[in-house]
This record gives sequence, structure tokens and C-alpha cells, in this order.
Amino acid sequence: MGSLLKKVSFNGFMLAIGLLMIIPFVFMISASLKAPADVFINPLNIIPDEIFTFNYETLFNHEYYFKWYWNSIRVVVLTVIFRGVFVTMAAYAFARLEFKGKELLFLLLLSAMMIPQDTTIVARFLLYGVMGLNNTQWAIILPATFDVFFIFLLRQFFMGIPKDLSEAAIIDGASHFGIYFRIMIPLSVPVLITMTLFTFIWTWNDFVNPFIFISDIEKQLVTVGLEYFQLEAGQNYALQMAGSCLIVLIPMALFAFLQKYFIEGITMTGVKG
Amino acid sequence: MKSTSTAPKRSLLDKIRLMPYKEKGAAIIFILPFMIGFLALNIFPIIYSFVISFMDYNTLKPLSDASFIGFENYLRIFDDPIALSAFVKSFKYTLVYVPGVMIFGFLLALLLNRTFALRGIARTMILMPYVANVVAVALIWSILLNPTNGPVNQFLAMLGIENLPLWLVGVDTALPTIALINVWQSLAFQTIVFLAAIQGVDKSLYEAAVIDGANKWQKIFHVTLPSISPTTFFLLVTSIIGSFQNYATVRMLTNGGPGNASRVISLNIYEEAFALNHYSYASAQAIVLFLIVLVLTIIQWKGQKRWVHY
Repeated sequence: MGSLLKKVSFNGFMLAIGLLMIIPFVFMISASLKAPADVFINPLNIIPDEIFTFNYETLFNHEYYFKWYWNSIRVVVLTVIFRGVFVTMAAYAFARLEFKGKELLFLLLLSAMMIPQDTTIVARFLLYGVMGLNNTQWAIILPATFDVFFIFLLRQFFMGIPKDLSEAAIIDGASHFGIYFRIMIPLSVPVLITMTLFTFIWTWNDFVNPFIFISDIEKQLVTVGLEYFQLEAGQNYALQMAGSCLIVLIPMALFAFLQKYFIEGITMTGVKG
Repeated sequence: MKSTSTAPKRSLLDKIRLMPYKEKGAAIIFILPFMIGFLALNIFPIIYSFVISFMDYNTLKPLSDASFIGFENYLRIFDDPIALSAFVKSFKYTLVYVPGVMIFGFLLALLLNRTFALRGIARTMILMPYVANVVAVALIWSILLNPTNGPVNQFLAMLGIENLPLWLVGVDTALPTIALINVWQSLAFQTIVFLAAIQGVDKSLYEAAVIDGANKWQKIFHVTLPSISPTTFFLLVTSIIGSFQNYATVRMLTNGGPGNASRVISLNIYEEAFALNHYSYASAQAIVLFLIVLVLTIIQWKGQKRWVHY
């Protein structure tokens, strides 16, 4: 009996911690369904007495809101595709091919990963301007394509695939393209899902890059768009929360379904030390 | 196909066609596209940052009009009270943020390591803030922490607390409040990594500790913590590096205010660069920041022998 009580209370305790973590989002949803004047009147009243949908109507009639949405989705999809091609190919070379200067090259990539993004932001802004990338979505997509973090992740994964498979394929006369396409890629689906998930979440939530590189508001992505939207909404906090809701809930839903891949991705990079 | 051709001279076309079959040839095909893009878009800006930090490229004038001025930009930082205090504020932020993510991350990992009925749902809820959009998070917390009529202070007032905290608009509270919001948001990373490490601890060590009469806390301090010390080290290093990159949240929550109370160095760099067009001076500050992070990492690397057991 005592142990049952212990079990129940521990579950209750953990649920309370979980609720504490997500209570800001509960408040967000609740406020987005209230009339602007009611947000601060009894905010602890989570379920509004009357569901107020006007905030969402305003959102759906907004000039740019869904344009930002579409832009972000486009950038995410293109980044996933480009990254998928260039990063997996380079990771294959680092994992499976012997060539001169391999260790040195890998060390160069790793040390470049140590340099904080903020250090090079000015230089990137000036250089991408010269390259004609500024104020286009390519200024977000192309630099993200050549990403070291995922080379590291995929190389680890590729090295774990048994070598016998590719050696047998070589004896059968397969080229390295054949091994890459028919053995490595099909066996790497889980890690590719992880990469897609992280690419989605990071690109979707990135503020600095679109803020610095894209100047036209109709070309913006959701995060910077939301800031613009907030300035426009002014003191209308209910509208701000409705605008936040539709942007926050997409990655959360994805995360809830693909949590396993998310945790595996972090574990793979973290535990190696 | 792979026969070392009998013909002494192979045509160029043949060579290209055979490249994917040779290890060196394949290596070039697989790695060159990535390296070209990486060098042009990611490595070149690093070199360029160093170059412009030694120039007087400080307006929208063409680069050809700028000239090299040696270490002047670096020396100028020491005469710039705003930049100096921004560095100090970043350190203060780190002193709240890093212990926050490390301690709470470890505790949550310990709790989630136990088996209980609602484990899946509790874990999902705990990890949720990590995937939320920074701007949305900033908007939510600005409303929640509104000092006059925000829900948090209304709740505290209901509990009968007087002298309600000013949170983001208080001179002394703004910076720690931002740090705590970021702890809440990024905690999931440390939690997951700690959890994986704890699950990897050799079970027989716990059994031996129990035989020696260790209690719950002694097991944590004498078995768990020493066993996961390489992971703790990794998380400490990455959390400290990460703690200096907080531009987006600081900008959205306080924009450095009230006054300059939360003007951390990352915000200062962006303001110098993109509000004042001081490209060279901003780059010099950014490189000093990089060097500080590098030195901190090296110190930790040297210090790890004392407490990290591989």
C-alpha cells in the first residue's frame, strides 16, 4: 500500500514538473482565444468564458503572415534537400574512403565548428552582399547546406554500418556511387530523419540569419515575421499570442511525433564527448 | 571493370568514367562539392573577419577606401565603457545560465531515469520548450512577467507577497531573468545528454556501492557523478560557449535595457555592426569574444584532469 502511494505521488510530482515547463504555452493558447481587453483580467482563468476567434480571423486576413509561413517551409525544404546531398556525400568520404590529408581536413572542419556564429556575422553580411545572396532566401539556404555538425553526425553513423556490405559490393563490381546509393543511404534512414527534424526546427526558429540577410518584409521567414507582426499588433497581446501560437505549434507537433529521432540525435552527438 | 588497363594511355573520358571505382577518384567526387561551398561560405568569412578587424571599414563607403590601421580597433575596446561593461554582463549572464542548465539538467535526468507510468508524457512536456520559437517565447514571457498586471506577479500578489519583482524591467533583475528564461528553454539538451550518460553507467558499480552500505545520495555522488564526468565536461564546455550567443533572446526580451542593464556583448556587436555600421570595430569585438571563449575552453581542457575520469 505504501509503495503504491509512493508511486502515485511520484507520478504526480513528475506531472507537476512537466506542467510547470509547458504552462507558458498553455497561457499562450488561452490568451489567443480571449478578447484583447481580457488578457490581464484574471489570467489564471485558463479556459476563457467565451471563445474569441477574432484574433485568428485577423491573422488569416494578414497581408504577410502566411507568406512568411510559405517562405519558411520553402527554405526548410530546400535546405533539407541540399544538405541531404552535399553532407551525406562528404560524410561518406570521411567515413569510408582513404585519401591524402583526410585527418587534416576533418580537423579543419571540426575547428571551424568551434567558432561562434556571431564572430563572423559582419564578414558574412559583407561577403554574401558581394556574392549577391543578400535579401534572397539563398543567403539562408546555401550557408546552411555546408554544415559541419551533420557531417560529424553522419560520419559517426556511416562508420557504424558493417564494412563487409560495401566490400562485398566492391567485389561485385559496384562503384562508390553504387555503395553510397544502394547501401549507405537506405541503411541511414533513421539518421536522415533526425537530420531533417533538426534542420526543420533550427531553420524554423532561427532569428539572426534571416534578420541580418533578408531586408524585404515579404521575403521574411516566420521568426522575424513574428517580430514585425508583434510591432504591428502593438499592445494587442491577444493578437500577439494568436500569431505566436501557429508558429510554435508546428515544430511542437513534429517533435511530439518524432521525439525518438530527436533524442537519438542529441544522444549521438553528446555522449561521445 | 577494375582491371588495370592494358592500354598505356587512357583517354580523359575513360579516366573520369572510372573515377567512382577508385578510392582516390571517388574521394574527390564525394568531397569536393562540399569543400568548395564550405570554403566559400563558411571559412572565407572567418578569414575575412580577421582582416576587416584590422581596418577602418566603418561606414558604407566602398571597401577600397578602407585602409589597415593595425590594432587600433582592439585598443579602442579598452576605452569604450559600453563595450567593456557588455563583456562583464555576458560573464554575469554565464554565471547564472551555465549552473542553471547543468544543475537542473542533471536533476531532471535523474528523475527521468526512474521508471514510472507517466514517464513518456512527463518527458515530452519537459523537452517541449526546446523546440519553441525564440520570438514567440520572448513574447509569451514578456506578457507573463509584466510587472504591473502580468499573471506571474498577480499570482505572487495573491500569495500575499509584497515588493513584487520587476523582472525584465528592473535594473538588477533583467539580466538574471533573461538567463533563467533561456535555462528553461534550452534545458532539454543537457537533460537528454545527461540521461543517456546515466543510463550508460555500469550497473554493477551501484550494486557494489549498496553492498558497501551507500545510501541514495552517496550513490549519486560516489558512483553516478564520477562515472558520467566526461559527459559533464562536454556539457560544461558547450554550455559555456553557447551562453555567449544570446543575441536573439536578449534583443527580443529587453533589447539591452533598462538603460544598458542587460546589454551583453553579443547584442553590442550586432548594434555596432548593423545599427552604427561600425563593421571593423564590431569584428574586433567579435574576435575578442571568440578569443575569450577559446581561452575558457583551453582552461577547462587543462583542468579536466582533476575531475574527469575516462
